[in-house]
This record gives sequence, C-alpha cells and structure tokens, in this order.
Amino acid sequence: MRIDVSRLTKTYKDGTRALDDLSLVVPAGMYGLLGANGAGKTTLMRILAGLVTPTSGRVVIGGHDLATAEGRLAVQRTLGYLPQDLGVYPDLSARRFLDYIALLKGLHSRSRRRRRITELLELVALSDVADRRLKGFSGGMLRRVGIAQALLADPRLLIVDEPTTGLDPEERIRFRTLMSQLAGDRTVLLSTHIVDDVAQTCRSLAVLAKGRLAFQGSVRELVAHAHQRVWTVTTPGPAPAVGRVVAALPEGAGMRYRVVAPGPPDPLARPAEPTLEDGYLDLMDTGP
Amino acid sequence: MIATMRYEFAMQIRRPSLWIVYGLAFAALVAVLPYWSLTGGSHGGNAVAGAMSRAAQLLVTMLAMVYGCMLADRPGRDRALRVDGILDATPSGRTARLAGKYAGVCAATAVPMALAYFGRAAAYAVAEGEPSALGWAAVTFAASTLPGLVFLGALGFAGPLLVPPMVFRVLFVAYWFWGNLIPAYLMPTLSHTIFSATGEYARYGLLAPLPDEYGRGPAAMFDVLRPGFTPAAAWLWMGVMVALAAALLVLVRLRLSRSES
Repeated sequence: MRIDVSRLTKTYKDGTRALDDLSLVVPAGMYGLLGANGAGKTTLMRILAGLVTPTSGRVVIGGHDLATAEGRLAVQRTLGYLPQDLGVYPDLSARRFLDYIALLKGLHSRSRRRRRITELLELVALSDVADRRLKGFSGGMLRRVGIAQALLADPRLLIVDEPTTGLDPEERIRFRTLMSQLAGDRTVLLSTHIVDDVAQTCRSLAVLAKGRLAFQGSVRELVAHAHQRVWTVTTPGPAPAVGRVVAALPEGAGMRYRVVAPGPPDPLARPAEPTLEDGYLDLMDTGP
Repeated sequence: MIATMRYEFAMQIRRPSLWIVYGLAFAALVAVLPYWSLTGGSHGGNAVAGAMSRAAQLLVTMLAMVYGCMLADRPGRDRALRVDGILDATPSGRTARLAGKYAGVCAATAVPMALAYFGRAAAYAVAEGEPSALGWAAVTFAASTLPGLVFLGALGFAGPLLVPPMVFRVLFVAYWFWGNLIPAYLMPTLSHTIFSATGEYARYGLLAPLPDEYGRGPAAMFDVLRPGFTPAAAWLWMGVMVALAAALLVLVRLRLSRSES
C-alpha cells in the first residue's frame, strides 16, 4: 500500500509549525522514519492515521485521499496504529481490551473475533496473562498489547510510532523481529529516533528535521553519506576539537574516540567504516 | 455505538467507588429521610401510585447528586488514559462512540439508584400485598426519574469539558441544591420549574395526587416557568429534559471536534 504525501504542512493553534511543505513517497514493505524529538514524526503519523487534519497539502494512501471523510474511513479500515503514548483501560483484561478494539474495527463475528484475539495473544506471547487486568502489565507487555490491537483487523498498513521507547534490550529485539516478520506484503511505517531500530529492520527510510524532509532513500545511501568522514582516534588527551564525537571508549591509559568529520580530526586518526548512525549524524550536521 | 455502550457500561458498573459512594448516600437517605416508611406517600387517591411517587421523590433528592458526581471523570477518561489515539484510528465514528459512551456510562451509573428504588418497591409489594406496586414503580421511574437522569447525564458529560472533574462535582452539588431543592420563595431558583430535574411534573401531573405540601407558595421569580401539575406540563417537562440533553451532547461533540486537531 503506497503512501503519497505532497506539500504537507501542519501548523498548530499555538503557532508551532510541526510539518513544513513535506513531500514523501512510502512504498510497500518496512519503511523507517528517523528524526530527532520534535522533528514532526508523530504529527506525520497522526495525520496518516486520520487523527489530525493538516493545515495544507495532500495525503493519498492506497488511492484514498485523506482529505475526504470516505478516504479517511477507507484507510482506517485497513490501518493498524500503535501510537507513541499508548494507553489502555487498566480495569480491562488484555483479552477484553482487544475484544473492544476489535469490535470498533468492525470484527462483528464473535467466533472470528475470538479466534483472531487468541492468535494475536499467542503471537505477542501474552496468552498466559490474557485474562489478567492491564493495570498490572509492565511497559513491555503493554507494548505487546499495543501491537496486538494494531494487528486485529489484519491491516495492510501498519503505523508504529516510537514503539521501542522504554523497552529493555530483550524486549526491543523481540519487538524488532516481530515488526520485520509482519512486514511481508504490508506497508509498515516505523517512526523512531533510535537509529539502530531502523538499521536492523528497514531497507528504506526518510529523515525529518524541523518538519522538513532531510533525506529519502535506502539505508545504504544514508550510510554512504558518511563515507570517508568517519574516523577513530586513540589519545590520552582530550577529545578532538574537530567534528562530532559519536563514541568514546576507554582504551589503555587513554580513550578511543569515534568521530564524524570532513577530514582527519587528528594526525593519528584512522578512517573507519560508517554505520547508519554515522550517516544520520553527518546528515544532521551537514544537511543533504 | 453498541460496542462502546457495552464496554463503557461494564467498566463503570465494576467501579468499586460507584457502589461505595452510592452506599454512603443511600445510608444517609435512610437515616435522614423517611425512605423506608413504605406508605409515606399515600395522599388519598391511588395509594400505591402515591407511595411509588413519594419514593421516587426521596430517591432523586439524595441520589441524583451521586449520579452526577460519578459521571464527572468519564468524558475525559479516554484522553486521560491516552486511549483516544487508538480509538480515533478505528473506523468507528466519534459521534457514535460519544453516544455509546453516554448511554453506557449513564445506564451503569443509574443501576444502583434503580436497585434502591425497585428494592423498596418490592418491599412495599410484599409488605402491603400489592404486586401492582412493581408496575407503578416501573412507570414512575420511567416517567419521572429517567428523563431527569437523561438531562443530568448530559450535564455530567458537558460540564467536565469546561472545568476539572473535582470542580464540576462541587458545582454540580451546588447546582442540585440551588436549582432543584431550594424553595422558590427563598431566592431566585430553577426549583419547581420545568427545567428542574426532580421529575415532580411527571409524578404529580401524570401519576399521583399532589401532596399537601405542594400548595402554591408566595409569588417567586421564574413563576412563569412553573405551570400547574397537569398532564400537558408533565409531557412538556419530559420534552424539555430530552431536548436539553440533546443540546448538551451536541455541544460536547462540537467541543471535542474543536480539540481534535
């Protein structure tokens, strides 16, 4: 399901311009959306989910124009949405909460609903606690309830906003693997400020900065952005003054620094292979 | 709408504070007002109808305050729990969900009140050997209590969108005394007008004879809004309650639309 965003602008009532003339094409498959906090990712996700009306611009998802009520309804029928600030009803069990959301998503057949909820509880490894009240669930368990509710109607489009924030490493890896498995022939739009999540799951991505598109392309292309601009320096002295230090590791009596800079930041600096994080940081520093 | 109504009903009815607060208020009702005086409403004419009307009057006097207060945190609950994002991303309409929430929450909040009322009606039926009391109770509750609850429910949904729930509760109790219980000759008030939610127009215009204490008092402000207790006034009161509720819910929907984006 292809997403076409053209010249999208969103200005809130307080004057904050969250999106500024943004144009973007998201193809089918797993797609990453990177950006610092406040870059406009959540606003874009909320517009795509039909929760927020843009100030101007156009969004077409799978041929449905979100500017029309019919278009929004058609998209929401095929949408799974996991918001950044996921909330649940603490007095309901996981099973009952999923049942309620399934009804709202139009799964009216009781037997089909039950079957689907059982499948999803197994998928997210919550079958054992399915009848426990949600108020006792950990953050990771709630995230899994969140992904289960997003998948209830077998959506063709899955929008997940900062899904791994606050999860422990094991939960994060489990979540990433699940996302990748789900992608298949779906469009999965993964918004995050954790570069590693995109590096491990996506082939293509976009980077937002201050509401504008800073980059759109493959992960490999963004990595290449930092080609011959990443260095390692081992020194007992202070960190190099040139470039951006992206890592510092104690080594012997000194420190080994990883630096993104246009040229060697130190006479002893050695070139290093860039990662997606290096490419992202270099993009943020130098622009596209 | 049905799904929302079902789940909102279930969540509200299982709320321990609902039963605790109603229990305390009911204890006060029994202690302060003659709620268990089963024949306390006989004023000649149909004694059964009179007794059921009197019980409805006493019940509403005390428990309607609890009803309004227990609704106060419900309208903003989805947002407070941050569930609104998930709900709004489903193809269910926001208007249908609001209607379902209103119906489910109000119905659940009225259940303890209905139990107290019908429990007393059953006790009356057994003690007096009058099974017709149950029928009269049903008619009296439907005609004189429900329209008021429909209006108070809408008020309980609209008010907390303007002021915090705790402030709304205080204002609601103040409104209840001022607009429904205070005698009209004491101060300018909506008491005993067709805007009062106590249900007296339906009780004494349609169902039971007027008690002695309802003799017309001295002239008061807003007397133009206090027609006699006639069947026409009873139907007018019911229409006013439903119309006010509908208007308030439209305002709630508009207010939610404004805050959506």
